[in-house]
Amino acid sequence: MTSSMRRAWVLAAILIALGLGVFLIKTVRMHFPLAPNAVATIWDYEVYLEFDGRDEPARVEIYLPANDVKRIFSQEEFYNGPFGLSLTDEAGTANRKATWTYRFPSNKKVLRFTAQTIGETPSTPLPETFTGSETEELPFEEDNLKRQAFIVWAADMRRRSADDKSFADLTLAEIFEGRGPGGDKSADEIAVLLGDLPAPLARLELARQTFQAQGIPARIANGVYLAEARRRVELRHWLEYHLDGDSFRYFPGGAPTRLFTLWYGADDLVADSGVDEMEYQISLQARRNAAIDVARNAGPEYDFINHWFSFNDLPLTTQLVYKVLVTIPVGILILVFLRQFIGFKTLGTFMPVLIGIAFRETALVNGLILFTALIALGLGVRFYLERLQLLLVPRLAVVVVFIVMSMAVITIAMSNANQAIGLSISLFPMVILTMTIERMSIVWEEQSAGEAIKQGAGSMAVAAITYLAMTNAQVEYMMYQFPELLLVIMGLCVLMGRYTGLRLSELWRFRELAR
Amino acid sequence: MVFRSIAALKRNGVIGINERNIRYVNHLNPRKLLYTVDDKLVTKQLAEKVGIPTPELYGVISDARDMRRLPDMMQHAGGFVIKPAQGSQGKGIMVIDGPLKGGWRLANGRRVEIDEIRFQINNILSGMYSLGGQPDKALIEYRVKFDDVFGAISFKGVPDIRVIVLKGVPAFAMLRLPTAESDGKANLHRGGVGVGVDIATGQTQLAMQFDQLIELHPDTAHPLNGVQTPHWDDILLMAARSYDVTGLGYVGVDVVLDREKGPMLLELNARPGISIQIANRKGLRFALDRAEAIAQKNLNAPARVAEAKKAAGEHDADAAPCEPDANG
Repeated sequence: MTSSMRRAWVLAAILIALGLGVFLIKTVRMHFPLAPNAVATIWDYEVYLEFDGRDEPARVEIYLPANDVKRIFSQEEFYNGPFGLSLTDEAGTANRKATWTYRFPSNKKVLRFTAQTIGETPSTPLPETFTGSETEELPFEEDNLKRQAFIVWAADMRRRSADDKSFADLTLAEIFEGRGPGGDKSADEIAVLLGDLPAPLARLELARQTFQAQGIPARIANGVYLAEARRRVELRHWLEYHLDGDSFRYFPGGAPTRLFTLWYGADDLVADSGVDEMEYQISLQARRNAAIDVARNAGPEYDFINHWFSFNDLPLTTQLVYKVLVTIPVGILILVFLRQFIGFKTLGTFMPVLIGIAFRETALVNGLILFTALIALGLGVRFYLERLQLLLVPRLAVVVVFIVMSMAVITIAMSNANQAIGLSISLFPMVILTMTIERMSIVWEEQSAGEAIKQGAGSMAVAAITYLAMTNAQVEYMMYQFPELLLVIMGLCVLMGRYTGLRLSELWRFRELAR
Repeated sequence: MVFRSIAALKRNGVIGINERNIRYVNHLNPRKLLYTVDDKLVTKQLAEKVGIPTPELYGVISDARDMRRLPDMMQHAGGFVIKPAQGSQGKGIMVIDGPLKGGWRLANGRRVEIDEIRFQINNILSGMYSLGGQPDKALIEYRVKFDDVFGAISFKGVPDIRVIVLKGVPAFAMLRLPTAESDGKANLHRGGVGVGVDIATGQTQLAMQFDQLIELHPDTAHPLNGVQTPHWDDILLMAARSYDVTGLGYVGVDVVLDREKGPMLLELNARPGISIQIANRKGLRFALDRAEAIAQKNLNAPARVAEAKKAAGEHDADAAPCEPDANG
């Protein structure tokens, strides 16, 4: 491999890696949809607190959605009333807290917190900070009897398992399904060990303690399942743990499809002091939204990508221009492939792509008909001008004027029958047509009519293929929303520029040598 | 099917356009030296400086003022050729046999007025035939009176010999013959016949037209193989020395044989076509590899020619070009 070859490969690899890297961040992390018009469900999450003031200093705390999970939630809003609000991060956990305070509240008071999210799935990875942050520890420090029972029980689990994975599975099965080998014996032990927490939490806590004692990082997570829109949504609790670098979630009673993690630990969502009749209510409301709008609000850490790899901040007219512009490299990529690998012969290097762009104005079939007709007329004029022996530039000028006149005549003739064609022709690029005619007539004279028609047809075929690619809704969407793919296209062009193999057409050309 | 034929072409050392461009043209022909072949006037001057014969230059027309001297330049009873200095693939060349009834007779027998000649020259000047369309010059030069040795196997026009030269070592050769179909021009893509020529001996071998094998000339029905090219050693030497003049590592050298003046350098081509492989019925790769090995020895031109002939002779002895199958 020569050094220029190697450099080309390195450059191509860098370009492609860069483009695909940004592309992957967008699709995997920011949840950019891959299909145009994809919709995503956004959930409006609301905590509604209602209580009576007692004319004494009041303090109300709630957990806010934890921000250590890789997911999107946005537009947090607080309805404070007269209360003061402070936000704190809990030390040691990833929990966030909102604290509302007021010196002398009276009567009924209302506080609200709302946020929007698309939530996460049971397989969303757990944060890195949670991995290996725990060490082995034994629970029940103060109660020696329980401590002994726990040690015996944990030892029993350990004996009957092969490794951490089977230990975890077995423990969860014992605690939540009561599947013990000795009938109720195991269930009795578990009953002793369960604390005085509410039902699901007590078992989760025991599981957490058992995992922790075995050195498996585990925590109780609380949140809601994003299943149906309703008021008075039930809070759910589950166990999160790490095993050999993998994330696991155990959901008592079966896993949901989507969920929204709020906080960690066995505490209640709301804590209050100095108020009466505290009542809180969680509600969820589902809204269908363009998935792309959801992804664009992925959060401040993605601002760089949202700004530099997106056209959405530009004025609308500029956006429309780029919608077309970014598809052109796709057409060029196809053209390069057709020329370097297949061996298409075309008039001019990028002429077919320009013709393909021109087809946007006319649509494919009309464009092909118009194009062929105008070229045929133009060639006729060009051959007649040859007899007058005009100089090159004036001759081109005559052809341009003739093309404009032909277009005008077609427009006027069509205006009665079919206005669509008449209007669309107006922007059909006459200079491209003129240059095509000039090149074609030179090939016609210098080589042969057959060669000229062959190259003309080749140009037309390539133009049609690139037009279809450039106007494909999926291609337009991908190129416009993922402009980083331009880097990938550039890399591919670099690679194709170093292709030294035979073209498909050369297999035919050299068929005599392939025997 | 596709993979089988790729494998077979690879085995026969066939080189495609992509490989020619990357490995030979781009790699061996530095862009800053291309002016030596892109402008035929420069080529001619460089060649004459070292004594490589070229067709005599009657005049150069580079603007309207020169055009007034055109009638003087045309005062040659033996006819003349008008060609664009930067033309390629034989585009824009006008061959005039001599005066005819107040006008001029073209090589194909048609009579033209001086106005038509002026128009052709104006087209050349405006860049119609030059690469990229930049303004050009028109050369008016000696019309070659071709050697009768190829008379039986050419139809009108002038046959020429194309030698592919790698770093000054002749590697591959082909005789290009005009046909009725090619309008008296020797360009292969217009229907000219390409006949493979053995580097070692100068004998014609196999032939092709429009990428297909043929054995007889399509117009004269004369067998194409077994004709000895005269002045073969001189031709090879001219080809080899062209490298010392231009410094271009991969060149197609076009030579014509004049009845009186012997071989003359017509032009150099920095992007020689690859159809020559069909005419020789073998791929370029192995011949170019052998030439590369000879070029490593840093010999002078006559020694390079001797080595090239020797290598080609040895190679042909143990590996004949692939013959068509008996049943194929």
